[in-house]
Amino acid sequence: MTTVLDVLDFSISTVDGLSLTRCDRLTAGKGCIIGVVGPSGSGKTTLLRGIAGALPNGPLTVRGSLAVLGKPVLALPANELRQFRREHVGFVGQDPASRLNPRMRIRHLLAEAAGGKQFSAQLILADVGLPATEELLRRKPGQLSGGQQRRVALARALVRRPDVLLLDEPTVGLDAALRKRLCGLLRDRAEEGTTILLACHDMPLIEELVDEVVDLGASAGVPEVLTDHRAPDAGGDEVLRVDGLSAWVDSRRRTPILHGVDLRLTSRGALAVVGVSGSGKTTLARAITGLHKYIEGRIALGEALMPLRVQRRGPAQRRRIQLIPQDPLGTLNPSRTVGATLSRPLRLYRKVSARELPIQITGLLDTVGLAEEFSERYPHELSGGQRQRVAIARALAADPDILICDEITSSLDASTTEDIMNVLGELRSRRDVALIVITHDIPLAIRHTGTTLVLEEGRVVRAGATSEVLGSSRPPSMARPSSG
Amino acid sequence: MNRVSVGLLPVLAVILLALLGPLFAPHGITEPVTAPYALPGPGVPLGGDQLGRDVLSRLLAGGRDLLVASVAIAVVVTGIAAILGAVAALRPTLGMLVERTADILILLPVALGIMVIGVSWPGSGRIPVVVAAIVLGTPFAFRVAAAAAAPVAASGFVEVASAQGERTLSLVFREIVPNLRATLLTLLGLRFVEAVYVVTTASFLEVGTQPPTADWALMIRENADGTLLNPWAVLAPSLAIAVLAVSVNLAFDVLTPKARNRAVTQL
Repeated sequence: MTTVLDVLDFSISTVDGLSLTRCDRLTAGKGCIIGVVGPSGSGKTTLLRGIAGALPNGPLTVRGSLAVLGKPVLALPANELRQFRREHVGFVGQDPASRLNPRMRIRHLLAEAAGGKQFSAQLILADVGLPATEELLRRKPGQLSGGQQRRVALARALVRRPDVLLLDEPTVGLDAALRKRLCGLLRDRAEEGTTILLACHDMPLIEELVDEVVDLGASAGVPEVLTDHRAPDAGGDEVLRVDGLSAWVDSRRRTPILHGVDLRLTSRGALAVVGVSGSGKTTLARAITGLHKYIEGRIALGEALMPLRVQRRGPAQRRRIQLIPQDPLGTLNPSRTVGATLSRPLRLYRKVSARELPIQITGLLDTVGLAEEFSERYPHELSGGQRQRVAIARALAADPDILICDEITSSLDASTTEDIMNVLGELRSRRDVALIVITHDIPLAIRHTGTTLVLEEGRVVRAGATSEVLGSSRPPSMARPSSG
Repeated sequence: MNRVSVGLLPVLAVILLALLGPLFAPHGITEPVTAPYALPGPGVPLGGDQLGRDVLSRLLAGGRDLLVASVAIAVVVTGIAAILGAVAALRPTLGMLVERTADILILLPVALGIMVIGVSWPGSGRIPVVVAAIVLGTPFAFRVAAAAAAPVAASGFVEVASAQGERTLSLVFREIVPNLRATLLTLLGLRFVEAVYVVTTASFLEVGTQPPTADWALMIRENADGTLLNPWAVLAPSLAIAVLAVSVNLAFDVLTPKARNRAVTQL
């Protein structure tokens, strides 16, 4: 068996001595699947980038040896490295959607990645579970859902059939069925001789798929699920009632996204909205918040009907529904500190005076488990989990009745996810906040929500108590839990 | 000395010279002190111009108005473009309207626009030139700003802010414009060079500026006939304009933040 990857005593650190990644030993032959694990910040992504020969800019100290197919990639001259990457390495990063040129159609994105080689768009799209219709090939990335964009990015990496495939968190944003398909696909590719490196928080996937695990962290371990917030929803008053909500892509109303969705939420309740990617979950969240323009239906807050567009709603109505959006990178304004981000809704809704602001901000940060010093930080100085905590604090600053969480834990590791969900659980019991949790993580929905609504192609296919909907008889598309 | 201060030195020197230059002028700008097109000699380091006036004195006096007018044009154009661009990104319907208007204005040749406005403007002076440059320069800058604002307007924090009922102007100034800093600084630098070009063209065409004002562009035009007799009468103001444009652009290049505070790593 030839050695494809050979890493020995390899480490990368900044010139100030801050260690970015360390890997004592990693060898892989043709057709091996290696799992790279470790807690957030242990350098999984940096190691993958090192293997791709694409380290972050800036002065770095690199020690040890790293060879891919016998070549020292980090020492190759730029043009050789480019050719080497083009011919032998496929890389799908953590936020692959942002790597898709928004102006190119899917067909051209695939052709570009294939680099002149013959390929079948039908086959490659079927591999990643996308319908290979003419219509889809004509679309641009902006017309796909987040999960679909990820799969196009994956297809781009696969289409050239590289010898080494580097995948950074490939299952984030995929539902159970797609995850299973991805598993099979990776196994097939490995049998054909591709060496695959997975950086992953998804322990079940690692266990199922990989031949060997490389642990970069000091084995912090994934904690057991500690808290159970499966509080019954019964007894609360109805705080939100949505009837016959339909939504379209644009004003011409040709392409529908939602068809007559009904939804009930009781105070202190938690409703999970689950469904495959592209089923309209995010549109539902935006429609309830009043951000989606082309909708029809009725939304009632408590007893009173509410205007559909946010511009027509009064401050009191807007205050009561707060959205925490999906995109973990764009959820906070990069040019404002955490304190500045939090002070705006405090002043807007609660008329907090300038003198009282620091106290209120400290209080909010405390509620989400962050220290006071964080108010001086900028978003780029925070980790993914911390950013989501700040986003929750910002929503809380308005003192809402309903929090809509759009896949806010999908890019976090298991222990951080539990922490965040516990913060939300506390809010339910202490502050009487009702939650709408949009997720594709079925176990998470089972642990943390009382009722569930399953969306399929914009229609509610099942609704009711979570234990019944997601418990014994799961709908076929959700056949397998994605973490446990 | 770090990179920033090295990059800023030339522009500070040029600005100081242009603003304080008149104070150091050895002779009056309308006072004949030597023979027409006299070569450099004692007391006249750069020689004389077409009427025997001191080239050095006129050079020192002739930069201030150009600098002030160009800075004003660049700042106003970039400012309007930033606001309109952000509004267009947030309100697509309004944005479409602004864009079409910009398309039409872009079709107008700038030199022609300046002449039309300059000639029809009551009185003389630089005001008509500045107005023309702003009106005709903004559409280009708007296009750039709108394109840069579009992805920012689609991000999560803008969604949250609009869901919290922030007004459009608040979204523009709090959420969008601060995140366009790099683009806007680059744009400001480019618009400044463009403004220098427009203002000097206008002076050269004698729109707005009339003799005997000391003005670099006017000096080039007035003394063009005597280039062979005293080349400095034309070379000195030409070099001054070039140094001004290049040094300002260099400074903006240094000031523009590199993409350091982005959470996305590049691959």
